[in-house]
Amino acid sequence: MTEGDEQTLIINMGPQHPSTHGVLRVVLVLDGEYIVSATPVIGYLHRMHEKMAEIRTCVQYMPNMGRVDYLNPLGWNWAWVGALERLAGIEVPERAEFIRVITGELNRISSHLVWFGAYILDLGAFTPIMYAFEDREKILDLLQPISGSRLTYSFFRPGGVANDVTDAFLKDTLAFVKYMRDRLPMYRDLVTDNIIFRKRCEGVGVLSLEMCQKYGATGPVLRGSNRPYDIRRAEPYSIYDRFDYEIPVDEKGDAMGRYRVRMAELAESLKIIEQAVNQIPEGDHIVKKAPKPRWKAPKGEVYFAVEGARGKIGVYLISNGGNHPYRVKLRSPGFSNLSLFGELAKGHLLQDAVSILGSLDLVIPEIDR
Amino acid sequence: MPSNESEIINENARNPNRRQRPMTPEWTDRLKTLCKCRHNFQKTGITWGLFLSPDTLVDAARCLFQAGFFLEDISALDSANGFVAVYHLSAYSGADRVAFYVILPHDDPQIPSISAVYSGALWHERETMDFFGIHFTGHPDPKPLLLPEDMTDHPLIKEDKNRAPLKDLLDPGEIVERDPDFLFFEEVDSSTEEMTPEGQ
Repeated sequence: MTEGDEQTLIINMGPQHPSTHGVLRVVLVLDGEYIVSATPVIGYLHRMHEKMAEIRTCVQYMPNMGRVDYLNPLGWNWAWVGALERLAGIEVPERAEFIRVITGELNRISSHLVWFGAYILDLGAFTPIMYAFEDREKILDLLQPISGSRLTYSFFRPGGVANDVTDAFLKDTLAFVKYMRDRLPMYRDLVTDNIIFRKRCEGVGVLSLEMCQKYGATGPVLRGSNRPYDIRRAEPYSIYDRFDYEIPVDEKGDAMGRYRVRMAELAESLKIIEQAVNQIPEGDHIVKKAPKPRWKAPKGEVYFAVEGARGKIGVYLISNGGNHPYRVKLRSPGFSNLSLFGELAKGHLLQDAVSILGSLDLVIPEIDR
Repeated sequence: MPSNESEIINENARNPNRRQRPMTPEWTDRLKTLCKCRHNFQKTGITWGLFLSPDTLVDAARCLFQAGFFLEDISALDSANGFVAVYHLSAYSGADRVAFYVILPHDDPQIPSISAVYSGALWHERETMDFFGIHFTGHPDPKPLLLPEDMTDHPLIKEDKNRAPLKDLLDPGEIVERDPDFLFFEEVDSSTEEMTPEGQ
């Protein structure tokens, strides 16, 4: 059965389909209920962030980072300031590193919660997203007073963070960690052990390690196929080497495996936050001579990668010492993770395509950049 | 990737203060390069920068695939010396990133597609085609990916006056091996003459 055969049917899933989250179109060739081929069509949300980098200064480019991926803006904040700091050799004060870890992990949890709620919603269960958004709301309330925004944070600065955190923030964060720990068993009882949910996920979209390597899949998608590759360990940055946490993996490689990895990561992030809040030292939240908006980056070439909520976020920056960066390449994890969908979906049922798409945790603006 | 090598890399990862000095990995012997450069990972985030000619690119990609590297991204750079296609590959074992650089002329830039080795390259190559107009020969589906299908401009191409020479953009680090005809970093050469600049 091939494309163009009389027996096949071509349908467009998206760009307005609710399970494509944003505007992704998938051209599906169907034989009955089975997928013969699936071709994602992207670019509907393309904003050319890489060109924008060439017409503003390094510090002015910061707000763009919050808008590349609106669910995990602090991951992108971190990748950009990390690249600038590595290029210019800027030392970050210890307290700022702790603030970055605490807020970055809070952001990872809030991103995973949106994914959790939306994924289950795609599969037909309405209630869990209400619980997930209730918990996410608490994180937004925590981050709002210190960063000034609820969604597209531009909180990090080259050399530190924009604002110091208060003792009240640290106290509330600890209270949140305790609260969230109590919620996780409820999620397990409500969703993870639910037989209908498991039938939709188990054995669906099994991803081999070879395919991960061919397509450059990273993050929970790769760890769901049993490779414990996490940038926080593989290319240690910031102060992640000081904390005690696990890298969750799952050996099955199916949609359920990717689900389990993300759910386990919620608990691991809580562990990191708790340790960081208890160890945070006094001191400056930003270096004295932090780059100002008109600061010129020194000449050079640098690559910096961080572990975002969706995988490996990379910034490749080339500066010739001028006012603006000469070239910026943004490596988005979702781009590589989505590119394998066409091969992965082949032979599955149409309803499983929804399950597979959701399990890849797509944020379209991050893919289109 | 042999396990002893990954242990060395992990050892370096655990001690960021120790100077990053991995042994020359075994796969580098199998590569035909124009210029082989060793970088300091802590400073640039790259361990090896390899300048390749277009005809050796696919073999080099295959070699790195067999050594257990995955493709991070493909991008390009517009310099006064021509376009530079940049490939980043990373190892799963630790802080180890290899960059391929292929210098292409401004008029009619052509480079073979590596999508037969790394399927993920299909999208990265289409994106680079959109932004720079570089033609990837052998690409099975060379359609625009992010830009509209009827768009003929390539937004990241610079005007002539804004193009900087390659030696101002890329720092070769420590040149381990160099083809005698590869002269983009000739100024750097004089200071590292004792570093065995041998041809092939």
